[in-house]
Amino acid sequence: MASLLRFSLRRFAWSVPVVLLASFLLFWAVRATFDPVAKLRQGRDAGAVQREIERLGLDRSVPEQYLLWMKGFVTGDWGTSTRTGGSVSSLIGQALWPTVQLMFWGVLLAAFVALAIGVYTAVRQYSAGDYVLSTLAYVGISLPAFWFGLMLIQVLAVWPVQSLGWSEPPFYFVGLHTPGQSGFNLDYLRHLALPLATLTVTLTASWSRFARTAMLDTLSSDYVRTARAKGVPPLAVVMRHALRNALAPFVTIVALDTGVLFGGLIVTEQIYSIPGMGRLFLQSLQAGDVFVLVPWMFVVALAVVFFNLLADVSYALLDPKVKLR
Amino acid sequence: MPDFLLARRRGHTALIAALLAVGVSACGGSSGGGGTVNGAGGGDNASSTSDTSASSAARGGTLVVGAEQEPDCADWIAVCAGNIWGSYMMQTTTLPTAFDTREVDGSWTLVPSEVLAGEPEVVVRGGKQTITYEIDPRAVWSDGEPISSADFAYTATQIRDGEGIFDKTGYDQIEKVETPDEKTAVVTMRSTYGPWRALFGGSYSLLPAHLLRGKDRNALMKDGYSFSGGPWKIEKWQKGNSVTLVPNDRYWGAKPKLDKVVFQFIPDTAAAFQALKSGQVQSLYPSPQVDAISQIKNGIPNTRVEVDAATGNLEALWMNNARFPFDSKAVREAVAYAVDREAIVERLYGPLGVEDPAQSFVTPLVGAFAGSDFSRFSADPAKVDEIMEADGWARDGSGIWAKDGRAAEFSIVSLAGNKRRELTEQILQQQLGEAGFKMTIANTTPAELFGKVAPSGDYQLGLWTLIDQYPEPSLSATFSSRSIPTEANGNSGINFMRARIPGVDELLGTVDRSTDQAQRRAASLEADALIAADVPSLPIATVPNVLMTSDSIGGPVSINPSEGPWWNLEEWTRG
Amino acid sequence: MSAQLETPPVAAERARSQWRVVARRFRRHRLAMAGTVVLLLLIVCCFGAGVIAPYPQNEQDLLVGAVGPGTDGHLLGTDNLGRDFLSELLYAGRISLSIGLAVAVLSTLIGTLLGALAGYLGGWVEELIMRIVDLFLIVPAIAVLALALRGLGSSPLTIILVLSAIGWTSIARVARSQVVSLREKEFIEASKLLGASTTRIIVRHMLPNLAGVIAVNVSLAVAAAIIVESTLSFLGFGVQPPQSSWGQLLSDAAGLLGTDQTYLLIFPGVFILVTVLCVNFIGDGLRDAFDQRARRR
Repeated sequence: MASLLRFSLRRFAWSVPVVLLASFLLFWAVRATFDPVAKLRQGRDAGAVQREIERLGLDRSVPEQYLLWMKGFVTGDWGTSTRTGGSVSSLIGQALWPTVQLMFWGVLLAAFVALAIGVYTAVRQYSAGDYVLSTLAYVGISLPAFWFGLMLIQVLAVWPVQSLGWSEPPFYFVGLHTPGQSGFNLDYLRHLALPLATLTVTLTASWSRFARTAMLDTLSSDYVRTARAKGVPPLAVVMRHALRNALAPFVTIVALDTGVLFGGLIVTEQIYSIPGMGRLFLQSLQAGDVFVLVPWMFVVALAVVFFNLLADVSYALLDPKVKLR
Repeated sequence: MPDFLLARRRGHTALIAALLAVGVSACGGSSGGGGTVNGAGGGDNASSTSDTSASSAARGGTLVVGAEQEPDCADWIAVCAGNIWGSYMMQTTTLPTAFDTREVDGSWTLVPSEVLAGEPEVVVRGGKQTITYEIDPRAVWSDGEPISSADFAYTATQIRDGEGIFDKTGYDQIEKVETPDEKTAVVTMRSTYGPWRALFGGSYSLLPAHLLRGKDRNALMKDGYSFSGGPWKIEKWQKGNSVTLVPNDRYWGAKPKLDKVVFQFIPDTAAAFQALKSGQVQSLYPSPQVDAISQIKNGIPNTRVEVDAATGNLEALWMNNARFPFDSKAVREAVAYAVDREAIVERLYGPLGVEDPAQSFVTPLVGAFAGSDFSRFSADPAKVDEIMEADGWARDGSGIWAKDGRAAEFSIVSLAGNKRRELTEQILQQQLGEAGFKMTIANTTPAELFGKVAPSGDYQLGLWTLIDQYPEPSLSATFSSRSIPTEANGNSGINFMRARIPGVDELLGTVDRSTDQAQRRAASLEADALIAADVPSLPIATVPNVLMTSDSIGGPVSINPSEGPWWNLEEWTRG
Repeated sequence: MSAQLETPPVAAERARSQWRVVARRFRRHRLAMAGTVVLLLLIVCCFGAGVIAPYPQNEQDLLVGAVGPGTDGHLLGTDNLGRDFLSELLYAGRISLSIGLAVAVLSTLIGTLLGALAGYLGGWVEELIMRIVDLFLIVPAIAVLALALRGLGSSPLTIILVLSAIGWTSIARVARSQVVSLREKEFIEASKLLGASTTRIIVRHMLPNLAGVIAVNVSLAVAAAIIVESTLSFLGFGVQPPQSSWGQLLSDAAGLLGTDQTYLLIFPGVFILVTVLCVNFIGDGLRDAFDQRARRR
């Protein structure tokens, strides 16, 4: 366990300079793209613009501004949104929760389904089931997510009402709860189904391909052949020997993709009116709200680093061949 | 995608990036092209009238409205002023105003609201104007405190002296507010002020002095507030999700019939319409974008559609009078004859029953002050040739007009991502191309367009919407030469086309300063005619407003072009 | 010395026969072959749209407006401005396919070169390049894309450049690890001993051995670029009119879901789906064809 801790710390230490550099570049890019006081300029109080420039130190050089911002960020003062006038940390805090929910369920669902498909198609290679599932996986990878999402709404929520005469749709597609409701209940699940399907279709498809390849690799490996030769029952071979070894690369890829997914929920959140990180980004971008954009990217970058670390650690834990350095 | 609008206020210029796709307002009822359209072409939807009889109206029930946009915050005089959705769903429903926009004899007018005991007394003496507001003795805030003259004084000083106030027009003319007694407020203006009825109304509301004075108003209001002086109060604002309104029990006027109204935020148009079709929401106020109109045309079962053509939203082709080729009046006039505005309006809004182009820069909301002098321009290729040739232009090898070695080539700027405008630009490109003008499209973001491109005059042709927010004329903000953005006026005017039309400044000055309605009206009409003669730009369409409600909603459902679709929400019922 | 001099022709001979094996394996991959044929057909139709499209680009008929598929000689109907939708789709396909192909080529080029350089040279060069790759991996791609396109303006060229600038990292990682493993192989050592220059070793020995990885990556990158472009269009950062792409057509029609004009939403989606599917099949075929262990499918 001590070695694992040391390993994690080492990896983390490595990523610190990268994250810092990334945050500086993003800071610079965002400042170069947007005028932080654009909204004030649209008003008529010229004095207000000047006061704000001085208050925020916008007349200083970009590196100086960055250090100023970093200082605030580290000490918990994330600044004020020009769009809402509210504190940036609370905006991001509020947006994190729906996104975390979507990600949690989405990754869980996609990983299990993908693994099941991967194992099945690898074990039953060239069977009809393999062909059908593989083809579906290809279609899943090839779909533009927003298009698929819109089609899901039409087919699974609107048609039952319009054509079958149901009094209400089986699945909802606005938000995560009916206003006034909260918690984990049927209402939540009915809201969750379609966004999850949209979110996971590409993930499930590509992960299932990955799982299939990983399984095929381990199934053709020497130790699996040895196990078979020793008369270990087929199911046990698959589960105990092949799957266990295929799991390491699979979990790694899942963890890596999860980090990227964090910022990639924009489309799903937009279509399903979910007030998460993706929508916060879109709104901030449209409003040119630099004071939200920079911390947003920083938080997402940290999430990616975290999941990369998780990927490394899980690989190390799951793959007996890897020794922690 | 949200689209941004430019709003103009009288006298001064306010550039709102008002986060709404289209409209501010529309006109209810019979005047000026309003009416009810049932989805043509759908076939299966039952036709119904807009006013379901009151007798069947039941009390109680919850209404869920799909809202395209969430207000950024609820501080209606500073950071989040001018946010149309916020103003419609929260401000109008919860905060009292001195004057309301109502239809009187077929035109929209500011009339004393329930806050006032009657029409204020106006006295002009020594070049100063005093307005005496008598407050209705029954008027109270939701905590039982009376709405008082102190509220008038507090609101006036907050707007006049506050920091980061969105627009101080009018309020900056206030010399003092006296409060001889709790229910009498006397406002003294430094000079005469024509649109005085828009004070404590228009786009601002009265604020409760007893709750806010001496405190941080912005902090208390921005995330929603629990006080109310209107029929509704904000029960809950769940950020990103919904705003819930419940009746204000202390309201002294007609009480709401519904128990609860929920505004659910649905940013995606496709999802919003699907939500209406599947019954998740019972009302939508969609911006009249192409896709929304196709949805309406296609018919949405069990849904009525209110369309109001007589709104305060003017979409126009803005020409930069200081830049080639629009520095030439001949070119401006030729372009006006080259554009088939009827065809554009028919294509964009035809399915809503809106077919007539706008013929004045004064919108129908301020209809009493509007002429129709632009009606002389309709598509006429022969006229284009005649005007251009008379001005010394000749067509070059590719059929494009040229003069002194310069071809009539220019680019148009609008807001990227706005489908309707992109469509309009493509139509214009084709029409102008046929008439011998080469137009390229170079769209940009709202912040860029209204923060930089338009104020600095770095464009040739532009396409955007200007909004009148209440029924007071505001031409001077766009057409007075004093409103050309310069260093001297802090780049604050919105005469982005740099129009300098002889005689117009004086006439618009009269409109702004006179307190004689007939005189103001005559001056406005005269200015309108002078503008049309000079063709500094070309009005294209009054953007209609559309309100969709499920058949289960009863009551006098209609759109108020200034106060929005939910101005009379208290009368809505659900059966 | 003389024996060593004979090596290159033999190696070249072996390489040629290896290519033949790859080509034969690829031809036997039915889905990949079908994908190739369909994709080529699409490319020919889109880039030959000037000749093939039934109507000129952007020819409007405002009076007609939108009519459904099969009406008045419009095989796929017309859009809201009365433009023949099949023609619009073909012209839009030019942009979509150009973006897909250009991004794939450009990002693969950059990625392979930098990756190979890192893997071959090692030391601080490798460290530098791989840290840059890390940098790109941790910043949220879609956010950077949207930000960059907002800052630079969305023309097909900027979209290509920005997508390539972000997309090169994955191939760089793969190329680097391949080169690292190749670096230790005997024939490279031999060339080094012979005094071959670094450039020569990379170009003559490393790159041919990377062919498989490169080919697969190109196909995946085409698919990814087309999908990402459509997503960017949906979010409002796609190409601007009068230019259009499949993603742009798709996002234009998103709000028409469930109306009589749903076909305007279906067709561009199908074009994207079919194209990306073809490209993915080709990628799969290539992977199998280059795979030493040669598994079918």
